[in-house]
Amino acid sequence: MRLPPFARLVLRNFVSNLDPVSIAVRFGQPAFVVVVLGIMFTPLISSSDATTGGNYMAFLVPGMVAFQMVLGGVVAGNLFWLDRRWAMVEQIFSGPFLRSEYLAGLVVTTLIFSLAGAGIMLLVALPFVGLPALSLEGTLVVLATIALGSVFFSGLLIAVGSRLRSANLYFTIQAVLQYFVVFLSTVYYPVTSKTPRILAVLVYGNPLTYAVNAVRDAFAGNLGPQDLISLGVLGVLAMAIFGLAALGFRHLDPGPVQ
Amino acid sequence: MAPAPEPILETTDLGYAYRPGRFAFRHLNLTLHRGEILGLLGRNGAGKTTCVRVLTTLLPPTEGKARVLGYDLIRGGRALRARIGVVLQAESLDYVTVERNLTLYALLWGVDRETARSRAEEMLTLFELEDSRKRKPWALSGGQRRRFQVARELMHDMDLLFLDEPTAGLDAVARQRILGYLKKRAQQGLGIIFTTHILHEADLLCDRIAVMELGTVLTEGTPEELKQRHGGARQVTVEFVGPLGADAPALTEMLRRGGESLTLLEEAPDQVSFTARNPEAMVAQISMWAQSRGRPLARLSVREVTLEEAFLGMVQKKPAGEAGS
Repeated sequence: MRLPPFARLVLRNFVSNLDPVSIAVRFGQPAFVVVVLGIMFTPLISSSDATTGGNYMAFLVPGMVAFQMVLGGVVAGNLFWLDRRWAMVEQIFSGPFLRSEYLAGLVVTTLIFSLAGAGIMLLVALPFVGLPALSLEGTLVVLATIALGSVFFSGLLIAVGSRLRSANLYFTIQAVLQYFVVFLSTVYYPVTSKTPRILAVLVYGNPLTYAVNAVRDAFAGNLGPQDLISLGVLGVLAMAIFGLAALGFRHLDPGPVQ
Repeated sequence: MAPAPEPILETTDLGYAYRPGRFAFRHLNLTLHRGEILGLLGRNGAGKTTCVRVLTTLLPPTEGKARVLGYDLIRGGRALRARIGVVLQAESLDYVTVERNLTLYALLWGVDRETARSRAEEMLTLFELEDSRKRKPWALSGGQRRRFQVARELMHDMDLLFLDEPTAGLDAVARQRILGYLKKRAQQGLGIIFTTHILHEADLLCDRIAVMELGTVLTEGTPEELKQRHGGARQVTVEFVGPLGADAPALTEMLRRGGESLTLLEEAPDQVSFTARNPEAMVAQISMWAQSRGRPLARLSVREVTLEEAFLGMVQKKPAGEAGS
């Protein structure tokens, strides 16, 4: 059976670009954060603190589940840039593929990574906090949030990457972006009345915050209209960014880069 | 009389500008038929690579028209690309072993697993990469990597193959092997467009050659036509049995009367060499002169003009400047 072109591209992404060591690091690092940060911070945080539900690890896990969409986006950005750096973008574009299929291939690879990462986070946290009480609606919201978030972050990094011709500059921007996106969100901590206003504004300007909050509410069984609105906004942002990346691809000169 | 076969590639005033008025090449009018090998020659920056990138749809032309394998170059898209092969100048590779690279590339092109495996074996043997099959391509030498690039592209079926300097950095044996294989594939009907700076191999391989300079085609023809048209003088060496002694000045004088196109290169006691555009008459004259003086000839050679000499004759006449502007 001959696979459709975009599926062949997804297969190639997995076979060619992802060696076992980098996959282990990719999933091992956030798993390490869940376990070590969870264990070390739980005693420091008051069990009566309503914002963390009294158990920091239970608070952290949905954050790290949602954070997988960012790590997935980083995977897409890395794959794209490695392909550019090793002239495979040019080689693939001269083959029987549409540019949009290459882009879709990257996004689907990202999506698979993000969902696998989310599953691994849940498994790692299982001995400490058990399985979350996810309803069917909650499960759908989590899956949809991760899917849309993955499209958003992979689209964002690819759109940035397609505008640049220097690998060094791209990887610097990616590292800075990742740093700000994760620390200016509610992945590790909630926004409370004590949070400085400027930081609260920045945190609420970050799409990851809405994704984390929706996942956290789904895990706690507290889904409300605000989560569906967040999902809708994330969907619109994801489509807009994906469109921007697709536009960047149309005009992309796939020739050699630094 | 049978109608002329439809060309598989035809360009009409094709051009590409990086920005308005700044052309990489323009007024490109090329034709290629099935089974034909067309060489694109030119100095660095002449526009060959950009031309290949446009003809393989990597860059959109900014003027003119082209049909490739029956498809319009701009609208042909995937259907067109599915029938061409491209070995680009920049090395491209995946992060797996040489063997896996070959099979993965074939799978990417939709070649079934069995065919991919057997073709990979064929290519590994043909391009002498069997010992490197388990190595990563970046661990290979420059020449091996180039062989690998060509081998990988030949993993899928195609009607037209673009090769942008495929033999750069290859040793003579590897080059001969690749050229021989390409010639065989062309005889089976594959059309090939080939760029190179090694003019000797273009002479051996190409049915026709287009010489590009400053983004335009200076001239086009078979290698023989180009050598005749642009080659200039041929070099003649006459060696006598024993030194000429007192007869030497007479020979020199005779050669000096040979006309403007004759240039004396070297005079030795038993040998003389010169260049001339049409040396046949002079060679006959020397032969008769030697016979009349009882000076037997030990050797008389006329070296043909090489494509490189013809090429230099063409491009050195053009002043440096910008493509077609």
